[in-house]
Amino acid sequence: MSASSLAKAVVDGILTGGVYALMAAGLTLIFGVMDIINIAQGALIVLGAYMSYVLSVHLGIDLFVGLIITIPAFFVLGVAIEWAFMRRLREQDRTAMSILVTYAVAIIIEGLLSVIFGVDYLQLRASYVDSTFHILGFYLPYIYVFGFLLAIGLLGVLYWILYRTHFGRGVRGSLQNRTAAELIGVNVNRVRAVSVGIGVAVTAAGGMVFGATNAFNPSSGYDLISRLLSIVILAGLGSIAGALVAALFMVTLEDVVAVVWSPVWATLVYYASLIVVLSFRPGGLFGSAAVRAQ
Amino acid sequence: MRLRPPARALLVATAVAILGVFPLIFSSPTSTSIAVFTLIFMVAACAWNMFAGSSGYIALGHAVYFGCGAYTLTLLANHLGFAAGWGVFALVPVAGIVAGLIAVPTGLIALRARRHTFVVITIAFMFIFQLAAFNLGFTGGSSGLQPPTPLWSVDTYNLNFYYVTAVVLLATFVLTWLVRRSRFGLQLLSIRDDEERARGLGVRVARVKLSAFVLSAIPVGMVGGIYAYFLGQIFPQFAFDPLFDLSIALMAFIGGLGTLVGPLLGALVLESLQQYFTVQYGSSQAYLIIYGALFLVVVLLLPRGVIPSLEELISRARAEPPEQGPEEPGRTADTIEAVR
Amino acid sequence: MRRGTWMVAAGVLAAALLVGCGSSSSSSSSGGGSASNASSNKSPVVIGTSLSLSGDFSADGQAFQKGYQLWASDVNKAGGLLGHPVKLDVVSDASSPAQVVTNYQKLISSDHAKLVFGPFSTLLTVPASKVVNRYGYAFVEGAGGAPAAFGNGLHNIFDVSLPVIDNLVPFAKWVASLPASERPKTAAYATSDDPFTQPQIPLAQNIMSAAGIKTVYSKVFPAEVTDYAPIATAVASSKADAVVLGSVDVPTVSAFVHAFIQQHYSPKVFIATAGPDQGAAFLKAAGGAKNAEGIMYPNGWYPGYANAQSQKLVSEYVAKYGGTPADVNADVAEAYSVGQAIAQAVAATHSLDNPKIISYLHSGVTLNSVQGPVKFNAQGENGQAAAFVFQWQKGNQVQVLPVGASGSKPPLIPKPNWGS
Repeated sequence: MSASSLAKAVVDGILTGGVYALMAAGLTLIFGVMDIINIAQGALIVLGAYMSYVLSVHLGIDLFVGLIITIPAFFVLGVAIEWAFMRRLREQDRTAMSILVTYAVAIIIEGLLSVIFGVDYLQLRASYVDSTFHILGFYLPYIYVFGFLLAIGLLGVLYWILYRTHFGRGVRGSLQNRTAAELIGVNVNRVRAVSVGIGVAVTAAGGMVFGATNAFNPSSGYDLISRLLSIVILAGLGSIAGALVAALFMVTLEDVVAVVWSPVWATLVYYASLIVVLSFRPGGLFGSAAVRAQ
Repeated sequence: MRLRPPARALLVATAVAILGVFPLIFSSPTSTSIAVFTLIFMVAACAWNMFAGSSGYIALGHAVYFGCGAYTLTLLANHLGFAAGWGVFALVPVAGIVAGLIAVPTGLIALRARRHTFVVITIAFMFIFQLAAFNLGFTGGSSGLQPPTPLWSVDTYNLNFYYVTAVVLLATFVLTWLVRRSRFGLQLLSIRDDEERARGLGVRVARVKLSAFVLSAIPVGMVGGIYAYFLGQIFPQFAFDPLFDLSIALMAFIGGLGTLVGPLLGALVLESLQQYFTVQYGSSQAYLIIYGALFLVVVLLLPRGVIPSLEELISRARAEPPEQGPEEPGRTADTIEAVR
Repeated sequence: MRRGTWMVAAGVLAAALLVGCGSSSSSSSSGGGSASNASSNKSPVVIGTSLSLSGDFSADGQAFQKGYQLWASDVNKAGGLLGHPVKLDVVSDASSPAQVVTNYQKLISSDHAKLVFGPFSTLLTVPASKVVNRYGYAFVEGAGGAPAAFGNGLHNIFDVSLPVIDNLVPFAKWVASLPASERPKTAAYATSDDPFTQPQIPLAQNIMSAAGIKTVYSKVFPAEVTDYAPIATAVASSKADAVVLGSVDVPTVSAFVHAFIQQHYSPKVFIATAGPDQGAAFLKAAGGAKNAEGIMYPNGWYPGYANAQSQKLVSEYVAKYGGTPADVNADVAEAYSVGQAIAQAVAATHSLDNPKIISYLHSGVTLNSVQGPVKFNAQGENGQAAAFVFQWQKGNQVQVLPVGASGSKPPLIPKPNWGS
């Protein structure tokens, strides 16, 4: 096993890891902070990919520019889902029943997409999807590099919202103690709706990059869910920066194992190391007690 | 629902009688086939709920035990040279025991964690077992394995599977009922309500959790074996299926997590409805949309699951304060009192 | 209960029903095409099939549905089966083996289907074949050709398509026969862990190795991969002259295509077992005709197949579903061939009796289909199936192998560089 192929695997892992971080970003808020096991994350990613497809093919809008439209649209969708369904669940049933709600949302999205677009595979196209630049002996595809930067940017925004704004304090406070938060004047319902909205909004960006780097159809979302949930937990609940590290760790580990051993064992090694890490650090790599009392 | 003992006995007797005569009345192979799958899921959801509903740990990896049961029955039947027929059913308990044995180490590791971390570890175990089934030599890899296929006629094939699964269901239900009535069951509830406090009061938390976990894996392994035998074929992605994990959890939630009959009701409605729906309307593209919408409507109208929400509605209709059975959350003080 | 909740619930239901009614017109499962006058006075014969109209196999399942419907409409125009108009009864299995088991029981026992057609994929064909066998029905299918489907002691299963295991043999023999100057020196083999692809690769690898083509990479990858990049990059780093990819679907092939382009690696020969056969859908995912140029795939059929029945099928498809001939993928022809095989058996035996049909199909008779001749061996595999290799050339699928066969054009070798 040559050092160069190992290095290539690491580079591949970091680039794809960026895409996974972007797809998991919204989930850090919804699953990691809000306690909602979001089964619909995969379907939302696919929905984001289709929205970008419509904008780029029918309106000729560039994929990244199109995010200016899809991100706000997804924010509205997230707020609507929270208002229509999540809000009506009782406090102690919320985690369990949210699985039901998000599963239903996922299959409705899959059904709508099949009716509108059919089930043939699509992939987003743009000049930078296949082009690369050459650096230190590696070919780096622009789309992955852009996706990586977008992931860092959006995770930065999330971090800022959650830890540096009045709203973020409201989010964290209302999760630790709803009554106390209400007493000091936090509108808990609104905070929650906006949180889910932001989480879903970020997912639009993940969907775009997913659609540019993978062929997709309406059923493509299901394979993503377990990996994305595991990234958020490996990162540590509510740890925004951790999501990036965990995504990079997951994909790089799989890619390196695929090269040095065999692709068929790569995923197994990832899940096994996930269990090992969580056995020693049940709070995840960067779990902080600051966000919530465990 | 709180009923007086005679009423409850009558209800149970009626349910058992319906279970017994159902395939004789609805004897078309379509309904008996749906019935077999429904019973399989009723067992799985009931057993899953015995652990998850009582302890509050949402396990999303019971497909591990389902798959291990399926592979155990198939491998043993093939290697021990079982002739296709009733004899293979003798391996069903073995499938359950093997699943239970596998639940010991996996449960030990998973139960060190709580809440979200626990959920993700159980999911991780599911994928590890699925990938192992794909890649280990003795599992047949991606081509899967085929148990012997019984040469029963069309009229008896489904019936035989139906009654075997029905027996497993009765046994599982009795088991959950016994657990619920026992000191052990109360200890589980106390863990759900407040694990630290339960520990402080002398409940051997780790041991209780693990016992319930292993106990819940056994019936799941048994129906895994039945499933493999019924289909006549297992592939890794269907034996260790993430959708199975999700389905049994959804069934318990819809019926009422932690209630005795809720998961049974959830599985009964969900699995039979889903199969019926798919076969009846699946060729319409709108089927997924309508199916999802029905889910949402149920969640909206019965936000705590069918059984608890109905209880609430009934007790409200009677204009009494909501009755608090042992199945109700928020009984920390009483359950812990009882555990003492 | 809050009033808002009721309103939301009512809204959800109303919206779903609206969508349901709006789209249900596209989903009728009837035979399509009215029966001719000659057959209208006899009772219709119901033919049942379960297809994956949603879920993992939905892309192929829906293509299969079109193939079956085109066959039914053609057969009805020609007077039906023994004068009975055909009524196709399509139910969905949502890509689930449990559902497929219930579905065939429903088709036969409740819907009283006289005949049944197979589902899509080996994964669903195996459990379905056991159910159908219990009823003593003939089980003719077009997409369950993996070895796992045969040799189970079932006498009633027939696959009209090319047996999967031999898929790559014509390609491997052709590569081995190339003059030394053109023959690849090295080859890389990567295959998805699937009962459809995995058996094909070693056979091809043996033939090519025997011809002195050195294996520089050979790995199996799981069906669900997080990241194809390391596998594709490793193949690219091996600088193999030939790449043999065992793929089941479009996303796998398109992932390798994009990764190869990004790594500036263009093999001289590139064949993928499935994916490039999906016509326009493959082009969309791969990034257009320029990226597809020179990519090969083995199959029993392609839209340009020089067979009169096949040409008719393609023009009917385009007339009914729109698009261009390149949009017709091989699933449609596989499905259509299933119907043709049954129709010939019914005509020859003058009956709709399944045991008679089974023994006729086992009698060693050679049937016609849009995919070429069909002759079943003892296990029910089509031993006469035409085996072709196709290549994307200038946005069209072109038959290139066997060399010299009717309709074959010279293969493009080496494969041009990406995008040129």
